Amino acid sequence: MAYFNDAQEVYDTLGKLFVDLAEDEELAPKFRKADTIVRYEYREPESTITVRLQEGQPGDVDFGESEMEPEVVMSMEADTAHRFWLGQVNVTVALARGQIKAKGPVAKILRLVPLTKPVFPRYKAQLESQGRTDLIEA
Amino acid sequence: MTFKDFYQFASPTRVVCGRELLASAGFEFAKQGAERVLVVTDQVIRATGLVEKVEGGVADGGLEVAGIFDDVPQDSDTAVVTRCAEQAKEAGADSFLAVGGGSVIDTTKGANVVFSHGGAIPDWEGVFQLPRKRDGMGRPLPLAPLGAIHTTDGTGSEASPVAVIKDSERGVKVLLLDFPLAPDLAILDPESTATLPAPIAAATGMDALTHAIEGVTSTEWSPHGDAHALHALRLISDNLERAVGDTSDEDARGNMLVAANLAIAPTGFGATGITHSMSHPCGARYGVPHGVANAINLPPVIEFNAVVSEEVADQFRDAAEVLGVDARGGGQRIGRTLADHVRELRGRLGLPGRLSEVGVPEEGISRLAEDAMGEGSTLVNPRQPSEEDFVELFQQAL
Repeated sequence: MAYFNDAQEVYDTLGKLFVDLAEDEELAPKFRKADTIVRYEYREPESTITVRLQEGQPGDVDFGESEMEPEVVMSMEADTAHRFWLGQVNVTVALARGQIKAKGPVAKILRLVPLTKPVFPRYKAQLESQGRTDLIEA
Repeated sequence: MTFKDFYQFASPTRVVCGRELLASAGFEFAKQGAERVLVVTDQVIRATGLVEKVEGGVADGGLEVAGIFDDVPQDSDTAVVTRCAEQAKEAGADSFLAVGGGSVIDTTKGANVVFSHGGAIPDWEGVFQLPRKRDGMGRPLPLAPLGAIHTTDGTGSEASPVAVIKDSERGVKVLLLDFPLAPDLAILDPESTATLPAPIAAATGMDALTHAIEGVTSTEWSPHGDAHALHALRLISDNLERAVGDTSDEDARGNMLVAANLAIAPTGFGATGITHSMSHPCGARYGVPHGVANAINLPPVIEFNAVVSEEVADQFRDAAEVLGVDARGGGQRIGRTLADHVRELRGRLGLPGRLSEVGVPEEGISRLAEDAMGEGSTLVNPRQPSEEDFVELFQQAL
């Protein structure tokens, strides 16, 4: 059974994490070094988050339809994304197995992977503060 | 030895290896379903007369040569790929036979994708992006038959599921990685490297050495990959200097073709490391040939990586033993001994020993380090480097 019941739950949890990261004074400038726009296309439930990671630009995060034209598209089950941000997914293995599919200049996003490690406990704490410990324990 | 949580391995390319095989290129390629073949090459290789031999071999096997595309430059790009695919269509070809080095073979892989599935190279950029059944999750749709005759000893492109093609318009290198990209047939015949100049044989041989050592020590190592890479190291140890020292040594040249073919096996599934992360930007920014950059960058990377854990030290020990290097002691000693061995080998081959000798300026290091952090190979290195680590490694190599 999937962790999330509908797209809104994805936006309330994973989406909120992206919004918070975009506003983080320490991390946001590092993520913007990717200098790209990435769209995360999730399955089960169908949901889309588009993120602007461009130096000197605002850290826009759109849920669902977006006017931002992505350079990189990462597609995966929403569960895989959730487990990634909990620190439970090895990206290289997930790419090798096709659990994560990457379209476009994937290296631009892979360079961010080492930066995500400190975000894992933050996502867990966010879920706890949202009363969604069910998503941590599942 | 750890039992890995996950790895996968495939070797989908049929390898035909031996002497006087160019004359039977058609006989072998027919078995892959080819009938009307577009031969893809470059003008340097064409001038050697090799392509005419292959053409004769194709016809001798009862196949037709639909045309020859000999317009692949040293650093090919997406526009060349498009032209190659268009020529294949106009000529009524149903298959591709690449005769050349990595640029020719990667161009042919890209042209095959455009020829078979339409669109342009940027449409297929990424990992596992080729069309599949079951809404993208099932079996890949087939490409046209592709054969490859490699004319250097390094890239292993004739057997890898990867193509790297420059997009001059965007100023980037486009990576395509998917199983169907691996050629259906690779013909390894030392006649194909008979005119390879010694300095290029040296550089491409060091590229193969780097593939093998990084294949064994990457976080994405696998027992299957090791089986290929460690034997590649044996062959490189026995044949590289011979092949460079005496370019008429057909046995040595043939064995180096096999070594390069074996060494690429683990890297096709991501088993690389930061030697590649450092060498790619050296090539992109300063035009340093990939094999030369690897030969320079590999020793400091070995020393950096070998100390990270006992398990990694043991992996370097395996590589060192196969190369006949004294592998006693802990990671630091093994790293230093193996790195010195590579430095000495590089010197005996007559290759440059420092990045400053091949046009890399000291003021370029910070940008190179930043680029190296963004390379996919950095993620699968046994020791996670910081940008500061890369600066130090580049300074050591400078």
